[in-house]
Amino acid sequence: MFSFLKKKSSAKTAKDRLTIAIMSDRTNNSFPFIEELKAEIIEVVKKYIGVTKVNIQKEDHDGVEALSIDVQLEK
Amino acid sequence: MGIVIAVISGKGGVGKTTTTANIGLGIAQNGKKCVVVDFDIGQRNLDMLLGLENRVVYDMVHVMDEGIHTKQALIKSKMSPNLAFLAASQTKDKSVLDSYKIKKLINSLKKDFEYVILDAPAGIESGYEHTIEFADRAIIVVNPEVSSIRDSDRAIGILDSKSQRVKDGEEVEKYLIINRINPTMVQSGEMLGSSDILEILSIPLIGKIPEDKGIIDASNQGKPIILNETSAAGQAYKRVAARVCGEKVDFVDVETQSGGFMKKIKEMFT
Repeated sequence: MFSFLKKKSSAKTAKDRLTIAIMSDRTNNSFPFIEELKAEIIEVVKKYIGVTKVNIQKEDHDGVEALSIDVQLEK
Repeated sequence: MGIVIAVISGKGGVGKTTTTANIGLGIAQNGKKCVVVDFDIGQRNLDMLLGLENRVVYDMVHVMDEGIHTKQALIKSKMSPNLAFLAASQTKDKSVLDSYKIKKLINSLKKDFEYVILDAPAGIESGYEHTIEFADRAIIVVNPEVSSIRDSDRAIGILDSKSQRVKDGEEVEKYLIINRINPTMVQSGEMLGSSDILEILSIPLIGKIPEDKGIIDASNQGKPIILNETSAAGQAYKRVAARVCGEKVDFVDVETQSGGFMKKIKEMFT
């Protein structure tokens, strides 16, 4: 009886684990160009003002996807 | 102009080449002119599954690089007058592939065939990217198993970002084949069911193929299982081929077809 219950859950476990793994894969792979983009932004901003770091974050606001770009300036 | 369909999977060993052979033959049996092309450079196997390994004289690299005419390299199958096959090169590696040459090759095949089926290599490397580059549609083959499903999602992601159609602002139509379904295991909850897999991947289903011991026998002989009228997998492939050709064919619930314990229980209550 218990072995039956345990078996029943293995497909369910697979589904739950896959759902999470694939969701995280999709987020990480949706912008494969992010490093290049960072380097280019630094180059552009440098023309006008000193810059030390650029951070790019993918955000999701109620289904609207956005890139939030933080540019850290030189002191 | 023919329709170009890439058969992809991400993970290897899930039945991609078997699926290509069977669907190709099935389409041809439906009266459509069909060519199957092996894109697995250096590891060709589609020739074996179609029983054509001894008839390969020229391969796709001869056509792309050495001025051999496509018609000289195409091999006609004896199993159907509508089916032709173009072999992958076994001696070269995937670095011989080049977008311009592939486009030229595919365009010439599209003129002569209604369906051009491309058997992609496993993985998501350059050989895979070249296979999907000029595809109109993709058939994704998965097994009901976590690594296959996860890898297929990565392959789909690359398809959706790197194919020419997507770059042109169009879409590549995607269809899912769930292969090697073990009905008894699905019923006992040890194997993912098709509804779960569809929910995870969210692409439309085009076929459910039950696990079938006859597949090994079929590949031993170089005769695709679709030729076997009594095989459950063969019949499932036949339905897939009809769907690819645009026919509306009802889905058979292969997950409850084994006549197993759960089925008997269900029957008691219906």
